[in-house]
Amino acid sequence: MIRFERHTLENGLRVIAHRDEGTPMVTTNILYDVGARDEDPGSTGLAHLFEHLMFGGTREVPLFDVPVMMAGGENNAFTNNDFTNYYITLPVNNLETALWLEADRMTGLDLSEERIMTQKSVVTEEYRQRYLNQPYGDLLLLLKPLAYKVHPYRWPAIGIDISHIGKADTISAGRFYRKFYNASNAILSVAGNIAPDEVFRLAEKWFGDKPRAPRRRRRLPVEPGQNERRQIVVERKVPSAQLIMAWHTDGRNSRDFIVLDMLTDILSGCESARFPNLLVREKEIFSEADIYLSGETDPGLVIFSGKLRNGTDIRMAEEAVEEELFKLSAVPVTDAELEKARNRYESLRLFSHLSASNKAFNLALHELLGDAEGINREKERYMSVTAGEMAVTAARTFLPSNCSIIHYIPEEQ
Amino acid sequence: MKDALPLRAPALNIPSPGDTSFPACTRLSNGVPVYLIGNGPEGLIRIEFVFNAGQRTESVHLASAATNTMLTEGTYLHDAASVNNLIDATGALFSPNADKDSAGLVTVTLTRKLDEVMSLAEEVLFHPSFPEREFRMMKDKRMQAFLIGRQRTAVRAREEFYRALCGDETPYGRVTCAEDYASLSVSHLQDFHSTHYIPRNMYITVAGRNPEQALPLLERHFSGEGSGPWSKPVITVPLFSSASPGVIYCEVKDSVQSTVRMGWKGITRDHPDYLGLQVATMLLGGYFGSRLMRKIREEKGYTYGIHAVAGAFHGIGYIAVMTDVANAWREETVMEIRKEIARLQRDDVSDDELQVVRNHTMGEIARLFDGPFSVADAIKGIVDYDAGHDYYTRFAETVNNITPGKIKELFNTYFNQEEAYVIIAGTA
Repeated sequence: MIRFERHTLENGLRVIAHRDEGTPMVTTNILYDVGARDEDPGSTGLAHLFEHLMFGGTREVPLFDVPVMMAGGENNAFTNNDFTNYYITLPVNNLETALWLEADRMTGLDLSEERIMTQKSVVTEEYRQRYLNQPYGDLLLLLKPLAYKVHPYRWPAIGIDISHIGKADTISAGRFYRKFYNASNAILSVAGNIAPDEVFRLAEKWFGDKPRAPRRRRRLPVEPGQNERRQIVVERKVPSAQLIMAWHTDGRNSRDFIVLDMLTDILSGCESARFPNLLVREKEIFSEADIYLSGETDPGLVIFSGKLRNGTDIRMAEEAVEEELFKLSAVPVTDAELEKARNRYESLRLFSHLSASNKAFNLALHELLGDAEGINREKERYMSVTAGEMAVTAARTFLPSNCSIIHYIPEEQ
Repeated sequence: MKDALPLRAPALNIPSPGDTSFPACTRLSNGVPVYLIGNGPEGLIRIEFVFNAGQRTESVHLASAATNTMLTEGTYLHDAASVNNLIDATGALFSPNADKDSAGLVTVTLTRKLDEVMSLAEEVLFHPSFPEREFRMMKDKRMQAFLIGRQRTAVRAREEFYRALCGDETPYGRVTCAEDYASLSVSHLQDFHSTHYIPRNMYITVAGRNPEQALPLLERHFSGEGSGPWSKPVITVPLFSSASPGVIYCEVKDSVQSTVRMGWKGITRDHPDYLGLQVATMLLGGYFGSRLMRKIREEKGYTYGIHAVAGAFHGIGYIAVMTDVANAWREETVMEIRKEIARLQRDDVSDDELQVVRNHTMGEIARLFDGPFSVADAIKGIVDYDAGHDYYTRFAETVNNITPGKIKELFNTYFNQEEAYVIIAGTA
């Protein structure tokens, strides 16, 4: 049970406070409800570029990192399809420094031509380092537009094409900033050894004068149900083939998400799970075989990813995966498998609650999903999943007509 | 910079490193040291078994890592599938790990499953059977990962750097080739295991609430006397290679970026300059606002990141600057790194800049000791290298008292431009 209190400022900023007496540090986690899904199809990658610009300094604080470090803190951020998240962890007696810095860059960012030029170049190198200069690095870039035709999940957070970033300028960055970076579009979550009332008082002190902006309504195109099997084959300079299969499923708040999270743990969450046991060890088809949820807020994907052992036929490998998945709807998972998944869930949950910064983030995330209290209801939701439910959800999800497939094979030398 | 902060800035409390006291150590009846790290939440406990069984101790290349991976691939009581099933059924996380200077197993478990988990830990650590079929599969899998690594510029540059520094004949410098996998056999692993995974060669850390509760179980499973009482490991220290400094190109076909790794021979933890050198490398490239991050990333936009580090194995220290940049910018990047070092050799760093590093380091140390699981990690480095129980106290003192003059001296002593190894891995 994670105790927390909530308060919303006049300007719409949602504040969550969790007291953790076991740490000398405090984490401020500020989540902005803007991600790659909010971008125009013609200028993708802007949300992520903007995350970089948020470290570029303001009129008041020209070098963002200097005061963080002077206060003994560390900080970072990440952007995904759904949201952009910033956090600072520092000694609790310097909490106000973190609040000052976050409040300051919520409205005072210096969006000069020069700053934007440099960060465009940095992001281009990030793109090269992560997606192009790694074997198999472009898989996500290929999968997204194959699985999605309408919804903005069809591009990854880095963007459809890195040339989009090149077009960003002070005007587009300024427009993005005013539209998405404001109090009513943010959730501030604070975890550390500090009383919630004190957190609320300080939040009022530093964020209370921020203007109130109208709460945006997100209207995204709904991805129509997929009703044909999609497949592409790509050749790359890699030592062995990789098979990707992806099925559409429901969003983060749905029952199916919880059921599939437990089910994918039974399939590949640990060494004795079905895929490592049957497809890797017993049949020796793959050297690695993993299945997981993409984890987005809107309806997302269940993704299978397997590296083939050399000499295995990729069509045969695909059939072996399908066979395992079809089995799920015919024969329920065993009690022992369910018990294992429950124990693992409990360990992993306790493990993730060890750190105050994790708790701060997870509280903010649940608030974004609708209610921070979700963090305490989650365990019950996972524990109540039954074998029967898994069979029904599997039958509904793992349909050939709902599947997008990539054969990623080595180029002929 | 403090003065430049505007009036709105809240008052700053100078960060302190907090409680860095070394945890209590007790011993099993056969002498195995057990470090007890208390506090933390109810319900979860982390126990780590550390053996002097790292890469440095192997006489057959890959034996250390392969032995470690195979621990959970079958025992004399259970085949691979059964042993993994037993482990996973408890919900525990078992992470075997092998490094250059130590190897072992981290277990994290629900406290209520501790009994079963310790019994399984004994089984995999002391009674693995190294079955042939699993051994062959492990080799195939590692071979595949090895081939993927051949295409990674960062991996290739790191290998070439250690080869240049430590030489091809030492375990620290040796670069793996495909034949190493072919010639490795089960008997190599059995030999390595029987001489290294023994009580006399290990220590244990227990982190979580009431760590004492694990002692009776540890006594039951790990106090066997079969291999004699615990003794302090004898370390054989390798020497630097005689390879001359300079530029080393490593061709990685079709890469869109190159990894630049520039480095020097360094010093070990027992050297009086070791802690000062940590401060110097931090100024150069140890944090987001460091000299190199500002210059190469934030001013030039050549890279997503650039880092500098000073580290040490047994007997061998190293200093390294590493970054991934577009192929077209790598020569200019090397030039800019050299220029920044020359500046630090010529000009005093300002008090403001030094103060940022001081405060940041205090925060870092406080984070290292934040929670029992973190402390377990922090003290491993100290125990493995016999760095002294007051290592972090001395580190905090050094950071707080070092002068700009000393930092300049360190850059002139350890960052000699002519003695730099410059590894460039990428497409010519």
